[in-house]
Amino acid sequence: MVIKDVAVIIPVYNEAKVVRGVIERVLKQFKYVICVNDGSKDNSSEEISKTGAYLVEHPINMGQGAALQTGIEFARTLPVKYFVTFDADGQHRLEDAQSMIKELRKGKLDIILGSRFLGSAPGIKASKVAILKLAIRFSNLTSGLKLTDTHNGLRAFNQHVAQTMQITLPDMAHASEILEIIAQKKYKYKEIPVTIEYTDYSRAKGQSIINAINIGFDTLLRKITK
Amino acid sequence: MIILIQILVILVALAIIGAVLVGKQSHSARAWKKIALSLLAVAMVVAVLFPDTTNKIANMVGVGRGADLLLYVLTLSFIGYALNNYLHQQQQRDQLNRLARKLALIDAINRNQKKK
Repeated sequence: MVIKDVAVIIPVYNEAKVVRGVIERVLKQFKYVICVNDGSKDNSSEEISKTGAYLVEHPINMGQGAALQTGIEFARTLPVKYFVTFDADGQHRLEDAQSMIKELRKGKLDIILGSRFLGSAPGIKASKVAILKLAIRFSNLTSGLKLTDTHNGLRAFNQHVAQTMQITLPDMAHASEILEIIAQKKYKYKEIPVTIEYTDYSRAKGQSIINAINIGFDTLLRKITK
Repeated sequence: MIILIQILVILVALAIIGAVLVGKQSHSARAWKKIALSLLAVAMVVAVLFPDTTNKIANMVGVGRGADLLLYVLTLSFIGYALNNYLHQQQQRDQLNRLARKLALIDAINRNQKKK
């Protein structure tokens, strides 16, 4: 059964090796897949073109947050009710996306967030856990929400969120920004356990510790200037 | 007396950061930045023509040498400049991103219609 009222948004940056496989896997379960190629330097674009996914091409590299926003804006033009954000490196499971949609269909919530710490993340590195725990504390502090995982790319939301979400922080700081938006716009949210399947490929592409400083600085600066 | 310069430097530092952060890019904020820049240039000329003045001012606020005072002023100006620039750059990046997004969306929607 292919689900026809959900748009799956996949930001893509230099994922030529894996992106096609990931898209084809998603297309088996979801009719609408939107790939935002964020100015990749490899042939991600060609790989996406070979699939049945919609391709939106950023003319320049603008960062993952910007790619998500573009994907959401494109998805608004499609006849869908729900939206899922999904990572291109294949670390998310479709079962988890499905259970998020099921949760949304009950009609009581606006946005569902994935948490690997409620669920599991086999093969996660200890250093990654340490950074994430710090990031979680930081994001909970800046947004005022109480979550167990704040930097998970798997999310699902309804029309209301898709129409009102405006992500402005282009890079990884968007994860904290989304939480701030949730708090500010009073979206009804819930975390559900998800499994992140780390592979050597996805591990190699992870965020570095030092980048946490950039993210923290930008998030705080934004809070003051707003 | 030493406390006077410490209070001054901290107050000015906070004022710069506050002005840069809260000021946005309103007309008056931009005008004040120009006034501050001009004053800095005038102060520089005065300091070169009358080297004693920096020493005198330094002594008034409790700094030993004029050179130290200059360094404080320079550091504060630099922090203000750097912050201002960073915010301005982010603002421009945001504008550029919106423009690029619009292009990307128009292009994608056109391609879609051709497909159909």
